[in-house]
Amino acid sequence: MNKSLKEVVPIPHIYIRGNILEKGNMLGVAGDKAAWAKDLNLPRNAEFTFFAGCGYQFMRYVEGMMKAAASMEKIGLGMERSIGISKVFGKIGINLPSITAKVTAAGKEDTYTIILVSAARILQKLGVDIGYMYEDEPCCGSPLYYSGFLDDYIENANKNFEVFKSLGIQRLIGLIPACTASLRDYYPKYVEGYDLEVYHFIEVVAQRLKETNIKPKLKEKLTIAYHDPCQLSRYLEIVDAPREVMASIKGLELREPDPEQCKQWSTCCGGGGLEAGSPELCERLGLRRVEELLNTGANVIVSHCPACVMQLKRSTEKMKADVNVMDLVEILDEALG
Amino acid sequence: MKTDNTQETDSIKEMETEILNNIQTCINCRMCVPMCPTYEGWITQSAFGRLAAINLHLKYGLGSIEELSRLIFSCANCRRCQERCKMLSTNVTPTDTIIKTRQLLARKAQEWGRN
Ligand code: SF4
Ligand code: SF4
Repeated sequence: MNKSLKEVVPIPHIYIRGNILEKGNMLGVAGDKAAWAKDLNLPRNAEFTFFAGCGYQFMRYVEGMMKAAASMEKIGLGMERSIGISKVFGKIGINLPSITAKVTAAGKEDTYTIILVSAARILQKLGVDIGYMYEDEPCCGSPLYYSGFLDDYIENANKNFEVFKSLGIQRLIGLIPACTASLRDYYPKYVEGYDLEVYHFIEVVAQRLKETNIKPKLKEKLTIAYHDPCQLSRYLEIVDAPREVMASIKGLELREPDPEQCKQWSTCCGGGGLEAGSPELCERLGLRRVEELLNTGANVIVSHCPACVMQLKRSTEKMKADVNVMDLVEILDEALG
Repeated sequence: MKTDNTQETDSIKEMETEILNNIQTCINCRMCVPMCPTYEGWITQSAFGRLAAINLHLKYGLGSIEELSRLIFSCANCRRCQERCKMLSTNVTPTDTIIKTRQLLARKAQEWGRN
């Protein structure tokens, strides 16, 4: 009757747990954390603290790993896909950051970390006083929660709260929806005395655009379809703010899919965690969602979550669809000049 | 395993009770079925089906734990079912219940590992 952990939790999820507990991020890559912020001169203490999260910082490794995993499948090592592969690489002596550097150098820019830079700049342009914790920023631990490791999640949350407190942090602005939901809605359940105010980037931006005279404007017209990330629309329940922001951008036309496919009914693209245990199913979800978005006639797909953006990119590539997939941050950055 | 500042976590029994209580409020309306992005024709690929499988397993021991694990880990945690249930039905919180069941299975396996 008694079963071992790997009989009841898919192995990639067990790897994710190890990566977070041992390396402080879900991919287990050793860290150039905070490297993205080196030219921004963000203070350590400010009214708000920008919470960068793991997603945008490490997405380029996921892409690199997936490419490497695809070629390794031929030699029988691909089974653990992206998540466990950093361990496999470590064991057989492959240096993952150097592979990624090569993938990046081979003409492919790192389109993810730049989003963090843009997001921080946007907040500054809108007059929000932000600081950054640099290497002290912890992993919020949310994958632990969804993978079933509640005790580890709670322990990590309590440890993190102490870190925030010791640094005098009171208000966080999160960019990644899942981290933000974890910090805003789950921590209070599991951490006694938790009193941090947590906001999502897009709410703050929408608010500031209302309060200021700043008018974002695109140089060229863009017709987009917006994909609501599950964690933003149904976990954080933020569906109006991104639309208010998009409506304020001159030159941007938003096409919505059917009402039962957007806002709180937005169809899941499969990007949030399904890849680890059910890669084929994950792929089908992505293809179906891209089809819905393309039916709007838009030629750019926009979302606002690193996992969704990556999943939608992979799906459009698979379909050989002639569309761009972007993060709302990139559009906003361009429109703010 | 717990540190001093870690709140007492639910015991396995309490978790099971919470999960089963949630499922008892399901009125089998199946409104959540077409909402599920993983639904491809089999009822166990939907929230309703996953909840039914959890119920049968926890209450009557039906189905293997490996099979149950496969079903609940193939959920994308997207909460589309939960949104529908909240609006039209009895607010079973299907997504949260599925995630709670993952936590239950992981905790059980970890306990077995310790004994
Ligand atoms: S919508 Fe809610 S009440 Fe209806 S079948 Fe699904 S879980 Fe049960
Ligand atoms: S949360 Fe899971 S069960 Fe509910 S609709 Fe999404 S994939 Fe289906």
